[in-house]
Amino acid sequence: MRYMRAIRLIGLFTKVNIQNLAAYRFDMYMRIVVSILHLISELIGVYIIFSNTQDVRGWKWQHMLVLVGVYRTVAGGIRIAIVPNMRKLLEDIREGTLDFVLLKPVNAQFLVSIREIVIYRAVDVMLGLSIATYGCIKLTGQVPVAQAIVFTATLAAGFMIVYGVWLMLGTLCFWFVRVQNIEMVFWNVFEAGRFPIDIYRESVRWTLTYLIPLAFITTVPARALISGDMTASPSTVAWGFGLAVVMLIVSNRFWRYGLRHYSGASA
Amino acid sequence: MRVIVRSFAAFLRAAVGTMLQYRGEIILWAIWGLINPAVLYAIWSAAAESNVDQTLAGFSRGQFAAYYFCIMIIGHFTTAWDAYELGYLIRSGSLSSQLLRPILPIWSALAANMAYKITTLAFVGPMWALFFWIVRPTFDAAPWQIVLGIVATMLAGLLNFLLGYVVALVSFWSPKLDAVGEAYFGIGMVFGGRFAPLAALPGILYQAAYILPFRWMYAFPAELMMGKIKTPAEALSGLTIQLVWLLGIVFVFRFGWKAAVRHYSAVSG
Amino acid sequence: MPQIEVSALTKTFRVPEREGGLWASVRSVVRRKYKEVRAVEQVSFTVEKGEIVGFLGPNGAGKTTTLKMMSGLLHPTSGACSVMGHFPWRRESTYLRRISMLMGQRSQLSWDLPAMDSFLVHAAVYDLPKRAFQETLDELVTLLDIRDILKKQVRTLSLGERMKCEICVSLLHRPDVLFLDEPTIGVDITMQARIRDFIADYNRRYGATLILTSHYMADVTALCKRIIVIDHGRILFDGLLGDLSARLAPFKVIKIDLDHEADGYDFAALGDVLQRQERKIMLRVPKKSAPAVTDRLLRDLSVLDLTIEDPPIEDVISLAFGRKADEPQPAGVSK
Repeated sequence: MRYMRAIRLIGLFTKVNIQNLAAYRFDMYMRIVVSILHLISELIGVYIIFSNTQDVRGWKWQHMLVLVGVYRTVAGGIRIAIVPNMRKLLEDIREGTLDFVLLKPVNAQFLVSIREIVIYRAVDVMLGLSIATYGCIKLTGQVPVAQAIVFTATLAAGFMIVYGVWLMLGTLCFWFVRVQNIEMVFWNVFEAGRFPIDIYRESVRWTLTYLIPLAFITTVPARALISGDMTASPSTVAWGFGLAVVMLIVSNRFWRYGLRHYSGASA
Repeated sequence: MRVIVRSFAAFLRAAVGTMLQYRGEIILWAIWGLINPAVLYAIWSAAAESNVDQTLAGFSRGQFAAYYFCIMIIGHFTTAWDAYELGYLIRSGSLSSQLLRPILPIWSALAANMAYKITTLAFVGPMWALFFWIVRPTFDAAPWQIVLGIVATMLAGLLNFLLGYVVALVSFWSPKLDAVGEAYFGIGMVFGGRFAPLAALPGILYQAAYILPFRWMYAFPAELMMGKIKTPAEALSGLTIQLVWLLGIVFVFRFGWKAAVRHYSAVSG
Repeated sequence: MPQIEVSALTKTFRVPEREGGLWASVRSVVRRKYKEVRAVEQVSFTVEKGEIVGFLGPNGAGKTTTLKMMSGLLHPTSGACSVMGHFPWRRESTYLRRISMLMGQRSQLSWDLPAMDSFLVHAAVYDLPKRAFQETLDELVTLLDIRDILKKQVRTLSLGERMKCEICVSLLHRPDVLFLDEPTIGVDITMQARIRDFIADYNRRYGATLILTSHYMADVTALCKRIIVIDHGRILFDGLLGDLSARLAPFKVIKIDLDHEADGYDFAALGDVLQRQERKIMLRVPKKSAPAVTDRLLRDLSVLDLTIEDPPIEDVISLAFGRKADEPQPAGVSK
């Protein structure tokens, strides 16, 4: 019963957003153009690298294309809901309008996570998935169903990890109200995900896998789509799922802690 | 002239104060300038491994480290954001009040730009030292190369600031053109030798890089500072070319600015 | 059994002390200094169903904090509060459905969407049955006269129109208790009167309990039979409007600009001298004597400019209740 209502609410917010796209048509086109420019520059980057070498620590250009595709999919996908909602949360904390969220008879975390939906960012996702698929096909001529399923699952796990990170960053703003660009913490680290984490030295690779799970957001899903000995190992995939679950739990706990602080409850 | 000097000093002081107030946010912005070159160093040095002599486009691992170390520093001193900000200033109407002042808005923009570079130095400086310590770059530079490299960096900073500002003038005709800043930045990354040293650029990109101004903002000062430019003659001719570009852009700016303000007063004011 | 029971409600905040200057900022990174602010202290009262109660007091008096504790947004530091049998800060879904809050200074409508879209979202969030929502919407839209602006983006509406839409959205779920925090702030006089009329009318029709805060006397006196005066976190008065009027001696503040020094003139004989600066004098006189004093001043002196104003509510309250910042609560608070 409750899940039906939740789904209906998400549907409503999406519908409302789509209906009002017309008012922001120009912005929308601009943003899509910028996304395409980013993608082109990323592809040019791959071209430049592979004009100088055949192989970067085992990653060939086809592998790299898959990664570029995954990176773009994630960069765009998080801008559909995660980024706009967290930005709104920061604004609400700053302006004091978070109170209105807290007065609603709906779970606050749920509400602040779904009320903004920027649907046209799905274009990024489609572009990214196309590039990733192209890279995969260039490698083996096909996309095996099993591979596609694991790929989708690891991608989903990656998104859950990103959501957890953003929620925690947003929650931090209960204390650091003025740091409006706290999202830069994410983007700065995400920058390192443009390339496979294998290019980094051992210590950095370890950090980006176990301390800051960037690997599970970009490299692991990319590997999942690649077959052969570059593919993601089952243990890695399992780690990713486990991490996603842990992230969701930890971020939820932190959010509740932050809310209690905000409303002056004794911690 | 005196008005400009006095106002500039005042803008600088005010901008430094503001930056210190928002130091949290500003440091978050500055971190990108540390991470991006570090990531690129990582990919290029990894790419070099697959070649027999462990070099790529004439750069060894240590030289890539040196190059990106320099790019990190130069990138900091050439930071400019007007290509993004001018459109916003126009849309919000803040530009109108700036236009009422007896000096050009570009001076306060320049002051803010310099204030940023100065105030973040306390944070990024140690980070540069840390990067240096971790990657152990191979430096091959004589003192004169480093000194000229510093001069080249300062010119590069002015060059990027000015060119970025000129490009931003497009916003007067279309204030919502946020893509312009992004495009300018992206082109600078490739043709300026930030994404890859110019020697690594394939065919047509390499040729384009040599006629565009961007290499004089990043690649040239970096190559100079790390010792890749061997003769003083080469170095000095490079500095001269920087100056020529600078003067050329100042010239374009004067024209462009007048046209922009005329359009602005006609349309909105 | 009262609908709302508040007893010994207290809220203290720990606020970091922020000094200016570079050195202080550096120091504060290492050691934070905190200040304890007593926003609400030992506040007690009860409210029956359907009452309209006004909280009156200057800015920072604790009115909004009290309201936030009653609506569940803030946890009290100590004391008890129950509204319709619920403890507000538990934020139970069944409680939240029955209350609503309108904040004059903040908007809950989505800026970029037409008001109607915000109403639909509201209906979904409160899980309102379609028929009931439609009926309530029709009634409210008619009463507030906003049918024509429902499809316009909220950012394009005037302040008054936006206010009406805010009121509408806060009532869509037919709350039993409505909290109004400074509802008429920033709005022009005509609109203030219209909002007050609507609120009074709503209370008559649906019997909803209304708790209203304001620092405008007019808001409170026009709507509320029962008034609670709060200052510095404490209740100074809780009773009927009529009794309050008797306590508040109305004053006026007369400001004059002279074109000559009037050193010898005995202003103190006419009223309380609030300020005296060469040729500018500020005089506080009882309302009734204002015309006579004005007459005297104009006849005796060469006056360049003269204005007659209401004193700020802080002065009215401190004059009426003779209280300053940290004085203990007087024994006989009338009830």
